[in-house]
Amino acid sequence: MATAIQRVAKDLCSLSPSIFHPLRQIQRLSRRLGPSPYLPHSHFFCKAASPQNEDSTQAAEALSRYNDRPWDYLESEEYIERYGASPVWEGYRRNHKGGIPPQTTRKTCIRGDKICGNPCPICRDPNTVIHHQNVKLLQQFISPHSGIVYDSTQTGLCMKQQKKLNEAISTAQDLGLLRFQIPYVKFTGEDFYSSHDAVGSTPPHPSLNSGDTWYKC
Amino acid sequence: MAGLSSARCLFRSCSRIKHVERSRHTLMRCGVRTFCGGAQDTGNARPQFTDAAVQDILSRITGLDLQKVFRPILQELNPPTYKLMTDEQVEQAVMGATEKAKKLLQMPPVLPERKPISDVLAEDKMLEGMDTAKFVFTDITYNIPHRERFIVVREPDGTLRKASWDERDRLVQVYFPKEGRKLTAPLIFKEENMKMVFAQDRHEDVLDLCLVQFEPDSSEYIRVHAAAYEDLDKHGKYELLCSTRHFGGMAWYLVNARRVDGLMVDMLKRLLFKDAVSLVSLFHMVHPNSESAKEAASQQATGTDLLKIYAQMESQRSGYIELALQAYEQTAAEGSAA
Repeated sequence: MATAIQRVAKDLCSLSPSIFHPLRQIQRLSRRLGPSPYLPHSHFFCKAASPQNEDSTQAAEALSRYNDRPWDYLESEEYIERYGASPVWEGYRRNHKGGIPPQTTRKTCIRGDKICGNPCPICRDPNTVIHHQNVKLLQQFISPHSGIVYDSTQTGLCMKQQKKLNEAISTAQDLGLLRFQIPYVKFTGEDFYSSHDAVGSTPPHPSLNSGDTWYKC
Repeated sequence: MAGLSSARCLFRSCSRIKHVERSRHTLMRCGVRTFCGGAQDTGNARPQFTDAAVQDILSRITGLDLQKVFRPILQELNPPTYKLMTDEQVEQAVMGATEKAKKLLQMPPVLPERKPISDVLAEDKMLEGMDTAKFVFTDITYNIPHRERFIVVREPDGTLRKASWDERDRLVQVYFPKEGRKLTAPLIFKEENMKMVFAQDRHEDVLDLCLVQFEPDSSEYIRVHAAAYEDLDKHGKYELLCSTRHFGGMAWYLVNARRVDGLMVDMLKRLLFKDAVSLVSLFHMVHPNSESAKEAASQQATGTDLLKIYAQMESQRSGYIELALQAYEQTAAEGSAA
């Protein structure tokens, strides 16, 4: 039965690449069914039922704990255990074909309720939230020597999170939470006078006071 | 009757003469005010920030720490270059660096607040209700200074008026953008955010951002600078601005406000006696009618005597200043004896 499915899959593969994705799923299914094909399907669903509920409640609690203050997570034990002193994006590897990665990362990791395989360093940890007050997290994505924000090809962030990161960094710099290099202003050769007619007070036109208008109406 | 009328004529002529005299007085006073830059009677005219003597004193007390002026900044990094130099070449390089540092430490201008623009050019009731939005007409000729640029606003009710200073700054930034300046002021200049930044000892950053964003005679510029100087005075963190371009402005602000004690004590703690003496001389220059200034002028005092006179007459923390002076004189005596 499984071998028959595989043969059909291989034939269909040669037809067109658009059927490739669901066929991969069929192949995966056949591989799963391979070692123990006589286990009823309901067994798998029952197994996942109870721990799934506990996980979701735990995840919800964790989310709610750091929802209001996402910067507390970076001092917590779970963060230190998971990442240590290295930045959040260190060790992340993108999955792509060939030696040269695409110039842009994926558009987004989370679409609705579904999360993709191998999500980016921010999306894979629901507690790491990009917020303009979460200065420690933002600083992990800025070079300490040149002040330039790392590109998403270096850090592996999806485009949506990279955009959010850029906006959060500019807001934090605006509020004064993040340091940045301020351009030097020269004051030579500029006279700040207010005696010219454009900016000083000039006597009003006589027609203003007399009440006559220059047009006939 | 004739006597009365003649008396009335005499009275009228007298009053006219009085009015003429009064107007002449006011004219004289106006003249002195407008030409105060080139006033011959220096005793009456108040010393300005741009005077050579004042600038000389302020640049001297600012100091010149090359390590602080040329500290590493966030910029695009290149691999380092190495040069093999003789001692003379090193000295020349250091001299060149000090010249460049003096240019970098050029003090930003301190100007009085600009008067608001409120001139109406025309009131055309015919145009009332033509549109719901204002129209702004800007002269974008390239070769004229921004202060000579005509910017006028047509209101929905038909009045044509000159644009206010805020509108002017915003529109000049739209058509002739300056590097680093934003159309709306960054939120760092709000009270709460400034307090938070001052708590992190980043006064220099705030002042640099203020120089980039605002014009030197705008109310925002003056307000931010005053807030920064007040905070520095309150916490005694004068060395944050030492050997930066803002130190002169801070010293000038404190001297004008007659609150030089904190700065004086800080200088004595860091054993900068010459700087303290020049600060006192600047104080006497700006406030020649104060008691210590008159005493110093009468005694022709110089050096530590000036400090003593200031400590006795003017300062509230005279005890500390006198103690520091005594310690300095002791060390000087020991040094000369040994």
